[in-house]
Amino acid sequence: MFGPLIQFAWRNLWRNRRRTFITMTAIAFGYVMLLFVACLMAGLRWQMIENGTALVMSQIQVQAPAYYPNRSIQKTLGGWQGTDVNATLAAVTADRRVYAAAPRVYGYGLLSAAHRSAGVELMGIVPRQEAKITILNNDIVKGDYLTPRMPKGVVLGDTLASTIGMQLGSEIVLLTQAADGSMGNDVYTVVGIFHTGLDAVDRGLVLMSLPALQELLHLAPARIHEIGIKLNDITAATAVAAALQTRLYKSVPVRARAWPELAPELASYVQFNHAITFVLFFIFFLIAVIGVMNTMLMAVFERTRELGMLMALGMRPAQVIVLIMAEAAGLALASLLVGGAIGVPILWYLQVHGLDLGGATGEMVSLAGVLVGHLWYGRQDLPAYGEAAVGLGITALVSALYPAWRAAHVTPTEAIRKV
Amino acid sequence: MRIMDLQKSLTAVLLMLACLILAPVVHAAKVLPKRMTVDQVAHLFSSKSSIATVTMRVVNEDGQRDMSMRIWSLGDKVLIRITSPEDEAGVAILKAGSDIRYYLPKSKRTVKIPASMAMTSWMGSDFTIDDLVKETFLTRDYSITTSFEGTRGGVAVYEYTLTPKPDAAVVWGKIVLQIRQADSVPTWQGFYDENGALVRGLTFSEYKTVGGRNIPTRLVMQPADKTGARTTIDYTDIAFDVPISAATFSLPNEK
Repeated sequence: MFGPLIQFAWRNLWRNRRRTFITMTAIAFGYVMLLFVACLMAGLRWQMIENGTALVMSQIQVQAPAYYPNRSIQKTLGGWQGTDVNATLAAVTADRRVYAAAPRVYGYGLLSAAHRSAGVELMGIVPRQEAKITILNNDIVKGDYLTPRMPKGVVLGDTLASTIGMQLGSEIVLLTQAADGSMGNDVYTVVGIFHTGLDAVDRGLVLMSLPALQELLHLAPARIHEIGIKLNDITAATAVAAALQTRLYKSVPVRARAWPELAPELASYVQFNHAITFVLFFIFFLIAVIGVMNTMLMAVFERTRELGMLMALGMRPAQVIVLIMAEAAGLALASLLVGGAIGVPILWYLQVHGLDLGGATGEMVSLAGVLVGHLWYGRQDLPAYGEAAVGLGITALVSALYPAWRAAHVTPTEAIRKV
Repeated sequence: MRIMDLQKSLTAVLLMLACLILAPVVHAAKVLPKRMTVDQVAHLFSSKSSIATVTMRVVNEDGQRDMSMRIWSLGDKVLIRITSPEDEAGVAILKAGSDIRYYLPKSKRTVKIPASMAMTSWMGSDFTIDDLVKETFLTRDYSITTSFEGTRGGVAVYEYTLTPKPDAAVVWGKIVLQIRQADSVPTWQGFYDENGALVRGLTFSEYKTVGGRNIPTRLVMQPADKTGARTTIDYTDIAFDVPISAATFSLPNEK
């Protein structure tokens, strides 16, 4: 019974082409805009997550359960006797979702050079492994990243270097409270200076080799604070962290935390970004409601006589409603297809070439404490595209309800006489 | 008389800190009223220099550490030299004026300690660098009220509450000082934060007469947020008003 009605509805759409085209253009354009916005927003989320985790933090951190939040240097993985670092790393990388993992040691200390001192965070890393999970090695502006040739070399930020008065090759003293309570101290050489653009990092972070920091802190080689992890797909972070925690716990008590837990401000930004996207969608839907309702109402008014005729011929009000709704659905479907077709090359362009925001400045922009580039790359967000399509479709149907109801209430005798 | 007791006790406390450093004593002498320059109190003020031998035991969840050190003080200068354990022997801290420097024998370097580090732990203990070397002007920076008078644990005591004066640059929200009535020696000192919560308590005991003065020779600092953790300082030897050469107050690589 619906078959002929749908066919009928489809034909009706093409009887007044201009009107249909105008409405289709509105919906299609709306859909393209939604795709554009969703793509850019997803790109922003992705870039912020990527940059926020890749600089120093990493995507998942595995630590001793008692390490966070006080970050006491005694709270190493596996307690005071430590853990088999290579075996634990192997256990982590056994998960296929893990791209790479690297061991880390942390400490706080006083850095002193010439006549000035500053409190710094010390991070001990294995350069070869660390470079697989973070990108700080790309930000070296003078000298080199840590190399095995300089076991007592340190790499630090440009702001720290200039405030304390250090150059490449400067000798510095690091003073810290070691794990046994004694005063760890030694002389080191500045081998590299980085500039990340994030003040906290450029001012307060000192990188050195893992064994060198263990020695300074009087920690045995088996004692590390953390395993940093990079995944093949960052969206799996929370799931992988939970899986790793369960699996590693069999050999050593650990707490594995994914980036949303490590950087709540980043996670809340992502939520905020989702919320903005939703609000934009909603505004577009409202506009679409008005457009579609207008078209359908006009279609009903123009065809009062015709509808009256149909009803006089025996079409029931319910069938009239189905007819009008089918017209709206057809209109929406056609518009979405057209919009999608127009959208694909735009989305492709956004992902590949990005949107140049600050071509003039070329500087990195800091957002919520995270650096994003001046090129704003899009990222495909298929669920959002689907939501936008479904949302627009529902919008079209909802806005056709009133015109359909009006049509169903046409009185045949009056309608035929009227025009 | 009560005020006199308080001043005496404050002086005793200041003197105790002066066992770690001398500066507060000298400054207290400057800020106290002239009418206090009688008998024992006046006597206490007169310490212009001191030499002390101290042992320090740090107990916390990671275990126990023992250290010993020698402390020299003269005017506003303080020098502390670690004598044991072996791997830290030779570490020295020199305070001259507002300048604090460490000498690190392992690195053979002198390191200046910025003011921002002064509230961090001294050698892993529950005392801060600030406790050791900062000039605390209790009577200048705090308003003093009597908050308790009576018997505690079978001992008649006065309790004074010191609240910072509006423009005083101090760390604590309030300091509570408990004094034994009989001989005006301090028995306990509590350090509170801005919300009135106890941050750490300093207990005095083992009173001995040194150079005509009755002073506690044991100080136990207990942080309120770490149960079981405490640092005990024992004065095995202390001498006041001893002649010390100003040249003593230099670090090994500065001579």
